[in-house]
Amino acid sequence: MMKFGNLVIAGIVTGSIYAVFAVCVAVWYRVSNILNLAVGDFAMTGALGVDYLSRVENWPLPLSILATLAAVAAFGYCYDRVVLSLAQDRLRRHEGIVVTFFFTFALSFFIEGIAQILFGTNVHAAPALWPGNSLSLGGGLNIERAGILVLACAVISGGMFALYIRYTLSGKAIEASGENYLGARIVGIDTRRYRRSIFVITAVLAGIFGIVESPITGYTYISGAVISLTGFIAAAYGGFRNPARALLAGLAIGVLEALLGGYVSAEYGDTVMYAILAALVLARPRAMGFESAVSN
Amino acid sequence: MAGLGRLITGRARPGGPLTTTGLVVLAGLVVVLAFGQQYAGSVLVLAFTYAIVTTGMAVQIGFSQQIAFSQSVFMGLGAYGAALLNTHLNLPTLAAAPIVMVGSGLLALLLGSVVTRASGLALAVATIMLPLIATGYVSSAGYLGGSVGMPLAGNLWQANSPDLIAAGNGVITVIALGLVVFVASRILNSDVGLELYALGVDERTAASMGISTPRRKLELFVLGSMFASLGGAVYAGTQLFVPATLVGSAAELSLLIMLFVGGRRSIIGAVVGALAVEYVSGASEWVSVNILLVEGALITVVLLVDPEGLAGIAATLRAGLRAGLQARRQGSGGLAEVPGVREPAGAAAAGAVGAAGAAGAAAGAGRLRVSDWEAVAPGAGDVPLLECSGVSKDYGGLHVLDAVSLTLPARGRYGLCGPNGAGKSTLLGVIGGTVSPSAGRVLLSGTDVTGLQPQQRFYLGMSRTFQAVHLITGRTVLDNVAVSCLRSQRSSIAAGIARSRLDEARERAAAALDYLGMRGLAGREVSSLTLESQRMVEFARAIAPRPRLLLLDEPAAGLSEPQRDRLSGVLHALGEVTCVLLVEHDLGLVAQITERIFVLDYGRLVFQGSPAEFNDSAVVNSLLIGQ
Amino acid sequence: MSEPGGTALGLTGMSVSYGNLVAVHDATFSIATGESVAIVGPNGNGKSSLLMGIVGLARRRGEVTIFGAPAPAGDVMWTARRGLTLVPERRQLYPNLSAADNVVLGCYSWTRSARKARRSDAYGRALDLFPDLRSHLRQAAGTLSGGQQQMVAIARGLAADPKILAVDEPCLGLAEAVSKRVYEALALVHEAGTTLIVVEEAPKRALLICDRRVEVRNGVVRAGAAPPAAGPAPSADGGGRS
Repeated sequence: MMKFGNLVIAGIVTGSIYAVFAVCVAVWYRVSNILNLAVGDFAMTGALGVDYLSRVENWPLPLSILATLAAVAAFGYCYDRVVLSLAQDRLRRHEGIVVTFFFTFALSFFIEGIAQILFGTNVHAAPALWPGNSLSLGGGLNIERAGILVLACAVISGGMFALYIRYTLSGKAIEASGENYLGARIVGIDTRRYRRSIFVITAVLAGIFGIVESPITGYTYISGAVISLTGFIAAAYGGFRNPARALLAGLAIGVLEALLGGYVSAEYGDTVMYAILAALVLARPRAMGFESAVSN
Repeated sequence: MAGLGRLITGRARPGGPLTTTGLVVLAGLVVVLAFGQQYAGSVLVLAFTYAIVTTGMAVQIGFSQQIAFSQSVFMGLGAYGAALLNTHLNLPTLAAAPIVMVGSGLLALLLGSVVTRASGLALAVATIMLPLIATGYVSSAGYLGGSVGMPLAGNLWQANSPDLIAAGNGVITVIALGLVVFVASRILNSDVGLELYALGVDERTAASMGISTPRRKLELFVLGSMFASLGGAVYAGTQLFVPATLVGSAAELSLLIMLFVGGRRSIIGAVVGALAVEYVSGASEWVSVNILLVEGALITVVLLVDPEGLAGIAATLRAGLRAGLQARRQGSGGLAEVPGVREPAGAAAAGAVGAAGAAGAAAGAGRLRVSDWEAVAPGAGDVPLLECSGVSKDYGGLHVLDAVSLTLPARGRYGLCGPNGAGKSTLLGVIGGTVSPSAGRVLLSGTDVTGLQPQQRFYLGMSRTFQAVHLITGRTVLDNVAVSCLRSQRSSIAAGIARSRLDEARERAAAALDYLGMRGLAGREVSSLTLESQRMVEFARAIAPRPRLLLLDEPAAGLSEPQRDRLSGVLHALGEVTCVLLVEHDLGLVAQITERIFVLDYGRLVFQGSPAEFNDSAVVNSLLIGQ
Repeated sequence: MSEPGGTALGLTGMSVSYGNLVAVHDATFSIATGESVAIVGPNGNGKSSLLMGIVGLARRRGEVTIFGAPAPAGDVMWTARRGLTLVPERRQLYPNLSAADNVVLGCYSWTRSARKARRSDAYGRALDLFPDLRSHLRQAAGTLSGGQQQMVAIARGLAADPKILAVDEPCLGLAEAVSKRVYEALALVHEAGTTLIVVEEAPKRALLICDRRVEVRNGVVRAGAAPPAAGPAPSADGGGRS
């Protein structure tokens, strides 16, 4: 029972990261029709950047965090401004698959390459923001302190986003952009600017999560890939268009991953999980959230 | 006529399968023999190995909007398979290659029949798991060497000196590549290839032209996997080591990058892409260490310049050169459009704007005979050709169609009108099979076709046009019309490799173009035509299979007055031999062409009658003619 | 409101194209402040493209002036701020947002505060025009009936407090009684001083409330002069439906 409980808790922690990333991917896809497959790499950059600045360059921690996040934001802004705008404007609609997948795939590679140069190939992690052992929740259940921070970040960012969407006009404008592109432009919404903002916010948010979570697992320059992939898969299960479902999917995948790792085997756990996910998609595509999933 | 003949058999066109293969093999042999055992040589051999895989990918995924991430898994399967056979059964790698190919084919058949039922994002998500699952399995499998990999002792080419071995390996690799290139080229140049192009443009239109997507997807999946496993076996035999990363996502992404950099719809592109990326990776120490950075930047830049990659850039340059040369040759102004469509033989219509000098409306060459049509259509009999019975369609509470019932006989011209939003296109969709009704049935000559796919209805004699133009850019008018003549239901890719039916399809297409007096346009590339002419090409495509029931969705939209007159003439002639139902807004045209008109209003059939009755009807007047 | 008599909207040599296809050729006409104009013609001939070009949603060449100021191409926000709002064909609502949210987003062109928007006169007036919507305000727009959706779309257009309201096919797919109510609302809008442009395929209803008609056929615009005799053209049976 304890083992189950602890696994579920650990699963919720990683699942909440997948969930947040999945929501970011889904929201951005609704507005831009591009899949952000570099989400995890922004997380990695956050973690490794802060580690580098504070450990190697000996900057004070708060400054390292600010500087890293600023760099991530700036990079995200430039990339959208230069590459993605060009890609969307110049390429005709029937080249969809190229724009949808490949540009952010390429971005992911690019970021990993830079990270390799800047940070080397070893495992690193940002310094723990809340140092200490795992806390006991009673009944034999434990949670890592960093895990609490992750959950807190997820709840705060998720809550802020939900409030923003519900209560502000620009929040509604983002929703509108995802619901009906033409309808949004009719009322004067600059969908391109919103698209860019979402991309940058996604990057910064990912960076924050990377910083907070990395003490638990440790990152290398290629860690981002698996996280991006899982975020993408979770968003896919939300049909890419429904952020709420993407969120649930992310949590579910996190918990599933933890349980499989704990009960089946540490080695094969992930493999079994992917096999289950693939089987689910193929068996019941519509139930899993894929709209135009089956041929005709 | 000779020109048309050449177009049909494609003999005058450069880039046929033998030429492409010859080029690749020759270049490859020269290169490997020249560089031999030197470092550059080994990089090239590796590049050619990857090219074997990417060529298969070009055919499998290059054309459609659907990506499957399965190639690295099958490449790994081929490599590990060859290694196992070599290590445990002492089988020479060269002999192991065909064995692993067959094994992969069978596995792909099994896996593919499940996987290819999905499409779009579902397909992407399902197949993206494959490399992950494979990596997970391989890393923990001791007998495969775990997360490091598996060495093997058997070279592809057994010889005594390292130089000979290297040379032999290189030659065998190039030959394998040549084989793959040959098969792939044969496919692309065959009728199956034309199908692939059509599928890449628009699946719905392709389905309505009879192209059977599910079966092709499975065939392509198996083909791609076999090529990938061949590449894997060659890899094992030349590198003498199978790294566990070969089956992983990173390898899969690298392959995709090679394909897209080179040009995903081009075989030469697939080869060049592999060469380019491998060469760049090996170019310098810095590059090979920072390969991720370089690959990321490379593909971003290339795709920004042209989504068709290097092949696309090359094609644009070539077109630009050709246009420049032609402009200089012609002096004043560029290409003059062949003026319009000529009078179809035997039709009575006003004002022919003829293309001077073409063979005349002569000698019954374009005459439409009932007997030609009859070959496809069984006798009319008493049963109406088309019957819609109580057809309704609801979209979330909105009644787009409300219990529509109508019948059409085997011949004649019929119009479907109504204000915007009345449901005309939806009704056409229900009849054609692209929209499934919420209630009611559709019967074709008494047979209930309500549950049938558009492809199946096509083979029962239905053909249609859509409002939007979906032609295959980069191919001729003749080929585009031939899309509907492919009889793809009866052919498989294997058959396509052996004997292409494309010529037969092109002949049928040429007959249709002849009938419409469009022969002069047969060799033109479709994107060089005006929208008017493009619509006429689509029309030709729709009538080429001699359908029993022809559904036209606003065929006159975008046509000029003289074009409309000509269309009217053609439709009059067609009405003698088959049944034509057209949706049209131009009431004048409808009254002029059709013998019976159906009017929809808010999804309900509110009027049906002759044009005279139509003009007099109070209902119709208040509804449509508010002037 | 602006003084009647000036030119609200002026087009000079405007053409609209989608890629290679030219939808509108060389349109030149003007609409006076306070006028109501019906743009008629068969479908697929350029009526909607004309509006899309004016508003800035389709690529156009030529000049468009709104209350005298030349409109920069492609800037929908500028056009909205200048006073021209479009209610597009097929409504283009946000199906999962509530009806109220759909309308309030119409205020986007002049404010970013949701509170200010909801308290504004324009928003209030927009909702008052359609009392039928009052009980459906919190309902998701996608679940409303066609007529209700059209009302939401017009309300959204009015929430921007436009001086010129352009409506594209207001009665697309609507039942007779509902169309009547929609036109009554539009008539009220016009009476309040707003310049009105209505695009209709079958112009009978539009001409009941419009002073003038502009014909678009095959992309060519023929603007009628403001006729002294307004009212419906006689039909064959002298009446038919209202």
